[in-house]
Amino acid sequence: METATHQADEDLLIQGLKSGKEADFQKAVRLYTPGMMAVARFYLDNASAEETVQDCWVTVIDAIHKFEARSGLKTWLHRIVANRAKNHLRKNKREVSTDFSETLDPELADRFAPNGRWATPPTLKCNDSAEALMENSALSDCLDQHLSHLPEAQRSALMLYEAHQHKSDDVCNILDVSASNLRVLLHRARQKIYLMVETFQETGEC
Amino acid sequence: MLMCRDLARIASDYIDGELGPMDKVSVKMHLLMCGHCRTFIGNLRASVDLMKAHSSQQPNDELIQKIDERVSESLRLKD
Repeated sequence: METATHQADEDLLIQGLKSGKEADFQKAVRLYTPGMMAVARFYLDNASAEETVQDCWVTVIDAIHKFEARSGLKTWLHRIVANRAKNHLRKNKREVSTDFSETLDPELADRFAPNGRWATPPTLKCNDSAEALMENSALSDCLDQHLSHLPEAQRSALMLYEAHQHKSDDVCNILDVSASNLRVLLHRARQKIYLMVETFQETGEC
Repeated sequence: MLMCRDLARIASDYIDGELGPMDKVSVKMHLLMCGHCRTFIGNLRASVDLMKAHSSQQPNDELIQKIDERVSESLRLKD
């Protein structure tokens, strides 16, 4: 039921965009720009990413008439951003380089003994629900801070998969990474967040 | 035999249900015997849920304003 309602809302929004309604553009801009920035930042520095996302929205004014709803609006917008960002990279002859060889975060890897058992095991059990944890504004700020320090590739993968809830296949297509490399990016990013939450719960500090 | 470090390497795949049947059984067997890894998996899962609940996706106001202005101008030119 929720999905049907969401779909109906999205259909209405798309109609509004096709009719060139400014209010609907403003609504869509607020709804989809954060995810579009996550895609752009996978490829580009912040200034170029912001420029690319602005250009994309101007492109959308005409391109929306060709949107046939084979994918959701979010996925379609993210693909437009990814293509533009890749073109920008090609023009500037830069390539995204990421190390996919090690799945364990170095800080976590150091906590195992040579025999592969825990040398410094996790001590505190996290029993609070995510919603309860998010009520702690200091933890929420700390999470923001750590997210901003993640390598771009890890952050984009995490934001698209976790926060924007894209399917793995979509994230692979948008970011142009293989399924196994996406798994590495996600796992590395999650370990960083895990370590952050653990430190915060043990010390109360970020 | 699966060691704690091996489990930590594939923990996300386990949480997301992306492991093959053999690896999944190995992880489950290991978790039955190892309290530290049970805590680790539980806490990693909590971190994943935390990310999902996190509403850090506040749009950057300055960027949103710039986009609004450019969209508004382009719509006017189209009319």
